[in-house]
Amino acid sequence: MARSNLRNWARTIAVTFEVTLRQNFTDAFVIFAIIFQPIIIAVIALWMLRERGGDFAIFVVVGAGMTGLWSSLLFVSGNSITEERWVGTLENLVAAPTPMPVVVFGKNLANVTQSLLSMIASYILVAWLFQLDVQVAQPLIFIASIFLMVVSFICFGLIMASLFILTPAVQNFQNGLEFPIYILCGFLFPIALLPGWTTPISYLLTPYWAARALQGAAAGTASFNEIALCWGMMLLFSLIYLAASQRLFGYVLRKARVDATIGMQ
Amino acid sequence: MNGIEVSHLRRVFKTSVGRFRRKSKEVVAVDDVSFEVHDGELFGLLGPNGAGKTTTVKMLATLLIPSGGEARVAGLDVVKDADQIRSRIGFIFGGERGLYWRLSALDNLRYFASLYNVEPEVSAKRIPYLIEMVGLKGREKERVEGYSRGMKQRLHIARSLIHDPEILFLDEPTIGLDPVGARELRGVVRDLQDQKKTILLTTHYMFEADALCQRIAVINQGNIVAMDTPSELKKLVQDLSVIELEVFGVPDELLNKLRMLKFVDNVSVEDRDQKQALMVQTTRGAEAIPDLLPLFDGIKVGKVTSREPTLEDAYVRLVGGDKHGPE
Repeated sequence: MARSNLRNWARTIAVTFEVTLRQNFTDAFVIFAIIFQPIIIAVIALWMLRERGGDFAIFVVVGAGMTGLWSSLLFVSGNSITEERWVGTLENLVAAPTPMPVVVFGKNLANVTQSLLSMIASYILVAWLFQLDVQVAQPLIFIASIFLMVVSFICFGLIMASLFILTPAVQNFQNGLEFPIYILCGFLFPIALLPGWTTPISYLLTPYWAARALQGAAAGTASFNEIALCWGMMLLFSLIYLAASQRLFGYVLRKARVDATIGMQ
Repeated sequence: MNGIEVSHLRRVFKTSVGRFRRKSKEVVAVDDVSFEVHDGELFGLLGPNGAGKTTTVKMLATLLIPSGGEARVAGLDVVKDADQIRSRIGFIFGGERGLYWRLSALDNLRYFASLYNVEPEVSAKRIPYLIEMVGLKGREKERVEGYSRGMKQRLHIARSLIHDPEILFLDEPTIGLDPVGARELRGVVRDLQDQKKTILLTTHYMFEADALCQRIAVINQGNIVAMDTPSELKKLVQDLSVIELEVFGVPDELLNKLRMLKFVDNVSVEDRDQKQALMVQTTRGAEAIPDLLPLFDGIKVGKVTSREPTLEDAYVRLVGGDKHGPE
């Protein structure tokens, strides 16, 4: 029974992944969020940081790429639940036998994976158009960090999706979460530049640990302990998000059935 | 055996009004509804807008939790056993919503097959069968956004059947369809009936309920006001005849005046393009016409006919003469 469930879930995740990608690539907003916005941010960052000198090119590629990742998770994953509600398919998903977190996992997997294009677009811009030297000092650690980042972003997206299912009102806070995360997680400049009281907040955000691991691996400045800490924190947060989302989904889906918010437009 | 059992079902919605001092308000959508649908039966839930039809279906489809009462689908409780019920039911809600418009019909069905845990080898055979059954063969690879309303409704039917459910909830499946599209869809529903599916159909089209359903429950303001076979329901008005007058702009005062007449049981109006059809239910038959016409002073009256009552007239009598447009 458990084995057949796992097989069914794996199949649903794969089909959801494919279907989500097909839909996303026909949506101009998604293309803007994962390709054009990171490019615009990368150009601005290049002009800002080139005066500073040093090895700033890879910092821009990683930072701008991560802005695309975060925007994709925040808007594309969040909006996908809003869109499901709007087009009336959320009721179909909730009333299907497949558990909702499995469907959302497949959606987030697609959204986070596609947003890796942000990093590729930033790389093309910096290396080919601006002809700057972009080198990753520790490529294996860099790739492993990307893998862990994708996992932790997907798990974080599960928490977000459950809140979007609860009520469409969550959308009101969406815009306010984009730039604060860019800043608090040090995507484009170190958090050491921020007031001291913000540091504990950064430590609680998995994108911060992802950015720190990627930037460290790219520049080759991170020690083994430093990378281990970042990976450990990403894994820890992923497990916390995963466990919390399971409870949250149970609560949210029941509450949405009581409050009649699943079919709300 | 009963596929669906509903006992004293109730659903209250809480809303709040006011900007600063918000006051919560309760709206009773379903007050006290009880009925059973036998295995393999096509049962109709008939009622005007806001009667509680869709809310009842949503509770049975595990999308809403009832505020009171009890409901069992396939012998399972809709609150406690929601997960087990979901793989055994299919549902569609009227209208174009509920499909992925940027995907093809084929991809929509493939996606829903995976959501309902249909094995790939089974869905590989069932999807072409369903596409053929609902008349979408040849168009299945096109994006849904280019489909007509009728095609989308038929795709909904195919979607709801992807896991071969034993029980189906069809909530106003022909709403907004042109006559040809509606007739085609009714044909599909008849095919499902032949396959011995247990079907709960909601509609406010009387002829549709009459033509398709074995039994009908008339619901009004959240309560069942009558439940029987279409022929038995028609007997509720067998003592009456209906005078149908073609009129152009009938004022409310005249309707009230007609309702006050001793020999008039009920009056209803239906918009038909530029004109209106005024239906007067009376115990006096065609003899009442000479007494009615003088009241239409200054109002253009077209054709006047007298006819036997239909299920629609029984419905009008049961829900109090108010007929509304689509929900």
